[in-house]
This record gives sequence, structure tokens and C-alpha cells, in this order.
Amino acid sequence: MVPYLLEGLQGFLTLALSPGLIGFVRLLKARMQGRRGPGILQPYRDLAKLLNKERVVSTQASWIFHAAPGILFASTLVAGLLVPLVAAPLPLDRVGDLVVVVYLLLLGTFFLALAGLDTASAFGGMGSSRAMTIAALAEPTIALAIFGMAVAAGSTNLGEIVARTLSHPEATLSAGHLMAFAALFIVMLAETGRLPVDNPATHLELTMIHEAMTLEYSGPYLALVEWSGQMKFFLFLALLSNLVFPWGVSVEMTPGAILVGVGALVLKLVVLATGLAILETRLSKLRLFRVPELLGVSFLLALLAITSSFLVR
Amino acid sequence: MSAEIFARLVTLASSLVLLSGISVLWRHSLPAYIRTFARQSFLFVLAILLVAVQVSDVQLYVVAALVFVIKAVFIPRVLRRVQRHVGADIEVRPYVNTPVSLLLAGVLTLLSYAVASPVVNLGALPTRGGIPLALATVFVGLLIIVSRKSALTQIIGFLVMENGIALLAILATFGVPLIVELGVFLDVLLGVLVMQVFVYRIRETFDTIDVDRLKHLRH
Amino acid sequence: MTSTDAVIGCLVVMGAGYLGAALLAVLRAGRRSGVALVTCGSVAGSAAAILALLSDAQAGLGFPSPLPDLALVFHLDALGAAFLLLIGLVGAPAAIYSLEYAPGGHSAGGGRLAGTMLPLFLLSMSLVVLAANVFTFLLSWEGMSLASYLLVIDEGDSRERRSAGRWYAGMAHAGFALIAAALWLLGAKTTGATFVEIREAAATLPSVVRDVVFLLALSGFGSKAGLVPLHVWLPRVHPEAPSHVSALMSGVMLKLGIYGLLRVGLDLLGGGPAWWGGLLLALGVMSALGGILSALVENDLKRLLAHSSVENIGIICIALGIGFVFRACGMTGLAILALAAALYHAINHAAFKGLLFLGSGAILQATGTRNMEEMGGLIKRMPRTAALFLIGAAAIAALPPLNGFASEWMIFQSLLAGATLPYPFMAAMMAVAAGILALTGGLAAACFVKAFGIPFLAMPRSLRSAEAREAPSSMQLAMGVLATACVLLGVLPFLMAPLLSNAFRDLPGLSGVQAAFRIGVVMEAGPGAAGVSPTILALCLLVAGALLPCALLAIGAARTARRAETWGCGRATQTARMEYTSTAFAEPLRRVFTDLYRPTKDIAIDFHPESKYFVRSIQYKSSIRTWLENTFYRPLFDLARPLAGTGRLIQSGSLHVYVAYIVAALLLLLLLARWL
Repeated sequence: MVPYLLEGLQGFLTLALSPGLIGFVRLLKARMQGRRGPGILQPYRDLAKLLNKERVVSTQASWIFHAAPGILFASTLVAGLLVPLVAAPLPLDRVGDLVVVVYLLLLGTFFLALAGLDTASAFGGMGSSRAMTIAALAEPTIALAIFGMAVAAGSTNLGEIVARTLSHPEATLSAGHLMAFAALFIVMLAETGRLPVDNPATHLELTMIHEAMTLEYSGPYLALVEWSGQMKFFLFLALLSNLVFPWGVSVEMTPGAILVGVGALVLKLVVLATGLAILETRLSKLRLFRVPELLGVSFLLALLAITSSFLVR
Repeated sequence: MSAEIFARLVTLASSLVLLSGISVLWRHSLPAYIRTFARQSFLFVLAILLVAVQVSDVQLYVVAALVFVIKAVFIPRVLRRVQRHVGADIEVRPYVNTPVSLLLAGVLTLLSYAVASPVVNLGALPTRGGIPLALATVFVGLLIIVSRKSALTQIIGFLVMENGIALLAILATFGVPLIVELGVFLDVLLGVLVMQVFVYRIRETFDTIDVDRLKHLRH
Repeated sequence: MTSTDAVIGCLVVMGAGYLGAALLAVLRAGRRSGVALVTCGSVAGSAAAILALLSDAQAGLGFPSPLPDLALVFHLDALGAAFLLLIGLVGAPAAIYSLEYAPGGHSAGGGRLAGTMLPLFLLSMSLVVLAANVFTFLLSWEGMSLASYLLVIDEGDSRERRSAGRWYAGMAHAGFALIAAALWLLGAKTTGATFVEIREAAATLPSVVRDVVFLLALSGFGSKAGLVPLHVWLPRVHPEAPSHVSALMSGVMLKLGIYGLLRVGLDLLGGGPAWWGGLLLALGVMSALGGILSALVENDLKRLLAHSSVENIGIICIALGIGFVFRACGMTGLAILALAAALYHAINHAAFKGLLFLGSGAILQATGTRNMEEMGGLIKRMPRTAALFLIGAAAIAALPPLNGFASEWMIFQSLLAGATLPYPFMAAMMAVAAGILALTGGLAAACFVKAFGIPFLAMPRSLRSAEAREAPSSMQLAMGVLATACVLLGVLPFLMAPLLSNAFRDLPGLSGVQAAFRIGVVMEAGPGAAGVSPTILALCLLVAGALLPCALLAIGAARTARRAETWGCGRATQTARMEYTSTAFAEPLRRVFTDLYRPTKDIAIDFHPESKYFVRSIQYKSSIRTWLENTFYRPLFDLARPLAGTGRLIQSGSLHVYVAYIVAALLLLLLLARWL
């Protein structure tokens, strides 16, 4: 019984907290830019509004257009069931490891890119092409970072990685650990479409990457796509905080420890989101063809992280 | 502090010195290069202070102060004056483009690990984690000199390399005597002042500080 | 009846089926019966393979001859059985497909020569894995090359097809020479040159000879498998061959190169120093990256699939290389993990690449073109083909829970296990290889978004695409079989467990070793290592996907949908010229990797004669120079041409001179026999 409850809590947290996280980031950015900004609950209101609106579907669209939001949402949610948010190891620990989480998110991106091409819109095609380029170029960094973490922990199993870092707290100070964090942070910016890679608030189609792919969606489809994007952002930040700084993640399954886990998660997410908001306010969007250079820097950071943990024992 | 924590902090500091050297490969404007070099020298000062605290050697504190004054304050100011006078702002297209330079930096780091492994495996020094990184900084400095065209960037490359050598000395021998450090500083200072004069001369002759043009002196 | 008898019986049925089908084709008898016989043969072959793997049967057959070197000896061991299964997996669908495959007005299935050669091709490939001595192996290998050559150039009236045939013949024979040299070196000191004798004698060979044999075998089998830089025939030949032949070549024949490497490297030579594995790993990484980069910028659908085959062979070789390294270091449990990952990927690749090639054939038949820039909107005209092609594209992009993901996960786990190697530098190289493997995976996903999205989605870009018709039912059936295999191999990986654990039990040094991995409902890469359960993942995804519409209904989401034109910034109509093209899709990646592609750009602007401000037309031409071929092959050709020219002097054309040659050769041989 408890395992199902825990997984249910994971799913609930992923669904319920992700719009709030985005709302928090937007509010912080607005305040830093001298505006009052929308409230933290605005994304929830947006989702509710979109769910009640009518779908407008292009005459060129095929079943892929209708299926993609569902596939994206399902795959992101299943990935959310695998990432340790408040407790480790999870009941579904043996079903998927870190590699599975990354590839589940890639599954969603694949179908969204197909949907972008489906409507015969030039913007959709452009968004798909750019999004797949960035996803492909971010993969080596993710692989190296996973490799580094897995070598330290002995396997790519998420529960093991968390347990290993909890039992060796001084490893957090090592250069390898911190460089892996920096590399993954850059990858997070690229994969979730934040500045300086992609501006999530832009209205100019030629500057869009993720927004251009989803330009044709409306109504409940758009609600699902937006929600999936927010969940992906939430999961990336949760992965960053719980794999690199796992304190607060409960190892026993008692209600008290899990409550502590929830509190620790919220605290870590707030800290990371604040850092991200400051970064986004300071930086401007990179030209598209300087994004590979940024990803190259993240690859180099991950490589240095691996060498410093491997070659000097 | 314990030996374990000291070793980790030393590796962290050396990595930061290497990373700031690599970030010169990523930036495109000359004022940014000078700022990055100042930042690298500052991180180097932190590394020296770390070793000084562990070893409790007064000489190292003096060395740290000297490095701060000369490399983190004075030399960047000189270079900034030259850059403003010469008017060059953006680095012209380098011989090796950015992604390839970053890849080469990665390869050079791996190579320096391979080269330094006999020393590292001797195992006695608590600073052995940082030695390959300092060696890699030397290589990255050389890479900057080889791949960039502007004379000012080449001076920056030389200074990065010099930072790497000094860091290597500090880590490998736990500090060199003050006399040697003073001699090295004098060298570097004079070198920079002389190079600064040359930059003015190149600018006067060619109207640009693109070192590639020096080829025309052949005939 | 013992299991050995059952295996032999199935093999006999297989041989009879193939030979019977060839005979029927020669006699121009019913095509349906011919295809049925081929299908029976393939199924019998697969049955024999499964029986041999599950039991301990050692089925062998020998045809002695007065010259012991020239005897025909066959033997089915576990390794051969694994590849025999692969042959049957793609052979049956390919045969069924050929029933109604008739692109461009050619006769369905290609006519009499093709009908004869297809079963003979399958038969010779089966004999390659059954061969147990050098002569049989070389004979079957040559038969396989010949049969496939004839299949490629059959009904070839175009210049490209003839050129493809020449490239294929040249490289296949160069490879054959290298393989023959390697095997003859191995069998030099033995009497019958059977594999059993070679295995015993190989231990006594000096290490220089072993290294030379390995390098020769690597070059020969590598050129057949398609390793860089010997892969150049692949992208020329696969597009020109009929689609089911391309499926067989890409899915099965390339894997026989892998079989050869395993046979010579691990079985006959019994494993070698670690640098063999390191070399395989390096070549695998280069092939993987080179293959997918070439595939990304292709507009010809079949050539894109051919380059993608090079990429997947590279991935298989990465796993193979790690396996060799583990074997050299004595870590046999992990060696089996890596080799099993390679075998699993080989089988998966046969399934999804076969499916993709058959799908491209269906498109070729419906639209008359292989050029993706002329396709579009086919998902509405050919819905079932589209769905099946999508399964293949998702599988090759390694998306969970399909089979591509399962095998790539296993390869990643073997790379991770490589971190425990005693050489720290090699361990760091494993990390870099993992990074490059992930890069090729991401690029493959991008490539196959393009490969599925441009032909099938959006609006048709040419008139023939607008009028395309769905593929005939036999072709759909063939594709359906392979698609089912992709899904089952991915979602139910425990079906493969006995195959993967047992396939390497006959190799010296690896027999009786407990495999490090365990595949049940959860695939585990080792005790205490990570696990993944594609079965449960598929279940979770299905449940989530099914619950979603119900949840939306429950919360009262809007249910209406209105049709409107695609957003075009307010312009009046949407035409096919406004959609994204295949070249445009690959453009960002082309720019990122511009140093590797070195594209040439040619712009010609036609101005109005009155004023330079009015442009009449702009012509933009860009091509990717194949600098790899220019650096390696052009010097080789330039060297060979004068040599071939001097060789032609012997051909005087006069009958008397030729007879005089024969007499002179006879005299020379008699004199040599007398005095030596």
C-alpha cells in the first residue's frame, strides 16, 4: 500500500507543483525588472482557462497532431514517477534509471517535433529543426554527467546515486561534483528552453525555438503541452538538486521523513529558481549559432568533471 | 584543516584557474580577455592563500600579496590602457573556431593528465590533484597564443601560461623561495612593458594589431 | 528424436525450401509458391537456430572429398545459430514483400533472375554461418556476394545502377581477398583447415601472425560490415537495389561481417590483446559519428537509411570492442554483457532497418521518387505504411519502450562497466565513448524526425505524392511482421534472454561463464547494478495515455474542435512551397558541423537588364563534398589506373596468343614440378 501511496505522491507533486514553480520564476523576474508581475498562481489560472477553450486544428493536421500532446504529457509524467523527489529509493526504482528518465523526455520532444512539422507551417518546421538540434547537442553532456555520477555510485540507479552522495557528504566539495552540476545546469537551460538559449516569453516567431513548435496548439492541447513543459522544468530542477545536493531526501518511508523531504524539495527548488531568475534577468538570448558553443562549454565541464574524478583517485 | 578537505579545495581552486583560462577561448572581445585574466590571477591568489594557510609560511602570504598587486591589478590596468589606445575591440576571426578550440582544450587536459600521471601517482603530495590541472593551464595558454591573431590576445595567452607555471610550482613544491618569486615577477613585469611597446609599434606600422600581417615583413 | 536430429531436420527443410524456390523461379512456375517455399525455408532456419540455442545440440554435416582442404563441412554452433535466427527474421518478410513490389513499372519481384537469386542469396548467407572449414566459408561468402550483386544490378538500365554494381563488385572482392588471406594464414599449418583444427593450432601461432590475421580479418569483414573508411560502397549500393534486397543487405548481410569478426577474433584466435578491442572501439566510434552525420544531410531516403546502417554498425562495433577488451582482461562475465549487447543491437537493427527499407520501397512505388523533397502528406494517403514506418523511426531513435532503447541501454551499461577496467586511461576513454554514443543517439533522433516528418507529414510537395496510393497488402503484411518484432523485442526483452545468454557459450574462454546480466521482466546489467523494465514502462505509458482523455473529460475540458488554416502571419493561402524542406531541417546541424562537412556553396544571381536592384532569379547550389573519399580513394584510383593500363597489354585480343599463354603456363608448371 505504502509504495502506491508514495508513487501517487510523486505524481501529485509533479503535477501540482510545476506550474507554481514557473509562476515563482516569472514573479521574481518581474520584480527584478521593476514590474509587479503576475501572482504565483497565474499559471494555474492559465491552464484552467486553456482547458475550457475550444480547440482550433489546422486543416493539414493528421493524427500525430492530436496524439502528440498526450504522448508528451504521459512520458513526462512517467519520468516524474521515476525521479526521486522526496524519498529514495522509490518503488519504481528498478523500472527506470537515470538513462530512462532522459530518454523518456526525448520521447516527448520527438513527438512534439513531429507535430511541429505536421501542420505544414514554416514556423513549426523551424522550431522542430532547432529544438532537435539543441536536444541532440545536449545529449553528450548528459551522458558524461550520468557516467560521472554513475561511476561514483556504482550504477545508474537513481536511488543508489542519492544514497551514495548522502553517505559521502565531503564528495560534494570535490571539483568533479561541482563541475558536473555546472554542466547539468547549462543543459537544463538548453533542454527546458530558458534564457540564454531560448526566450520563453518571446512573441517574435523567428526568435522562437520551443514556442515555434507549439504555435498551432490551442485549448486543452495547449494546456497539456504547457503543463508538460512546466513538468519537464520541475523535473530537471529536482534532478539537479536531489542528485547533487540530496540532503532532505528521506531514506526511511515514515510520514515524518517524507514531510521533511517535501519541505527540503521546496526549499531547494526555491533556491535554484531564484538563481535562475537572477541569471535570466542578467543575460540576453544568445544567437542561435552560439548555442552550440555554450553546449560545447558544458561538454568540456562534464569532461573535466569525469577526468578529475577518474584520473586522480 | 584536514588533509582530505585541503586536497579537495586545492583541486577545486586549480580547476577554477583552468576554467578561467579556458573561458578566454570562449569570449570574443579584448576587454573581456583582460577581465578574464584578472579574474584568473585573483583565483590564483586564492589558491596561494589556501596553500599558505595549510603550510603556515609567511613567505607565501607575501607572494600572494605580490601576485595580487602585480597580476590582478597592475598588469590588467596596463593592458587596458594599451587596448584603449590601440582601439582594438573585437578579436578578428581566429585560426581555430570556438567549438574546435574548446575540444582541443579538452584533449589537452586529457593529455596533461596522461603526462602528469607518474608524478601524481608518487602519491606523497596532498596537492597532487591540482598538478595536472596546472599543467593543462600551461597548455591552454599556449593554445591561445597559437590560435589567436591579435597581439594583445597573444600577450594574454602568455600571461595565462605564466599563471599556470607559477601554480604548478606552488603545488609541486609547496611554494618557491621568495627570491625566486621576486625574480619571476620582475621578468613578467618587464616582459609585459616591453610587449606593450611592441604593440604600439605594430599598430603604427600596420594600422592593425593583427599579428598575421607580420608575414609581410618577409620581403 | 533427439534435439540434434530435430535441428538437422529443420536445416534440411530450410535448404530444400530455398533450393526449391530457386528451381521454381528458373522454371518460371508460380511466384506465390516460390515465395511460400522461401518463407518456409526462413521459418525452418529460425526454428533450427532456436532449437540449437535452447538445447545443447551440436548438429554437423560433412561431405568429404579426396582433397582434404576442399571438403564441405557444416556445423551449427551457438554463435552461428544466433545469426541464423537473424537471417530468418528478415528473410521471410523480404520474400513476402517481393510478391507485389513493382516500382516504376518493373515486374513485381524483379523477374526471373531476381526470383532465382533471392532464395540463393538467403541460402548462401545461411551456409556462411553454418560453415565449419575455410573452403566452405569462402565458397559460401563468394556465393553470397555474387547472389547479392546479381540482385542489385538486375533490371539495371540506369547509369547509377551499373556504377553501384561496379563499386559493389570491386569492394566485395577486395574484402574477399583480405578474408581469404586471413583464413589461409590461419589454416596454413593444419591439414583440413577445419575450424576445430584451426582453433587448436591458433594457440601456437606467434603473436605477430595473430595480429596480422586479426588486421586482415578486420579489414575484410569490416568492409563487408560497413566500417569507416571501408564503407563507401554502402551508400552507393543500397539506394539502387530493390527495397527488399536493401533490407536484406542492410539487415542481414552487414551483420555477417560482424559474425566474421566474432568468429575469427574470439573463436578461432581465441581472443587477443586489449588493443584489438581498442581499435574496434575507435573504428566503431568513427563509423557511428560519420554515418549519422552523413545521414543527416541526405535528401535521398534510401541513401539516408544506408548511412544510418553505417552508424548502427558503428554502435555494434563499440559494444564488440568493449567485449574484446573485457575478454583480454579476463573479465569474462562483463565480456558476455558487452557481446550480448552487440548481438541484441544487431538483431534489433535487422528488425527496424528492414522495416524502414521496406517502407521506403512502398513510398518509392507509390510516388516514384526517393527524393524526400518531392514527398509529403503521405500519412493521409498511406496511413498504414505511415504508422509502420513511424514504429521503425521511433525504434531507431532509441525511444523507450521499443527495441532500439533496450539494446542502447545495454551498450551504455557495458561502457559503464568499462569504468572498472584496471587501466584508468581506458576508463576515461569509455566515458568519452559514452558521450559520443549519446551524441549519435541524439543526432539519430533528429535525423529520423526528418525522415518520417518530411515524407509523411504536412502537404504533398509534388503531384505524384498527392496521388499516392496505399501499398499492396502483401507489402503491408511484411512490414507488419517486422514492426511487431520491433515492439515485441523492445517490450518483452525476456524473449531474447535465452538467445543472448547462450549465444557465446561455445567460444573458447567464455564457455560455462555466468553472464553478468539478467533479463527477466526487469533487465539488470549485473548484481547491484541498475535495472530497467521496458515491460512495466510500456504499461505505465499505456495507462497514463489511456487515463488522460478520461481525466480531461472528468474535469470538463472543452471537447469541440474547429478546423482552420495553419497560421501564416496573416497571408491568404497555404501552399506546399511554404512548408519546411528536408534541406532546411538539417541546416542548423549542418552549420554546427560545418568543419566536418565542408559544404560548397554556389550562388548565381540573375539581375534584370535594366537595373541591378531588380533580381529576376537566384540559384543556390550547395553540396557536401565527400572529402573522406577524396583523401583516401582518389589517390588509390589514380595509382591503380596506370597499373591497370599496363596490365591490359596482356590482352592482345588474338586467339593464338591466348592459346600460347595456356601452353606456356602448362610448360612452366611441369618444369617447376620436376625441379622443385
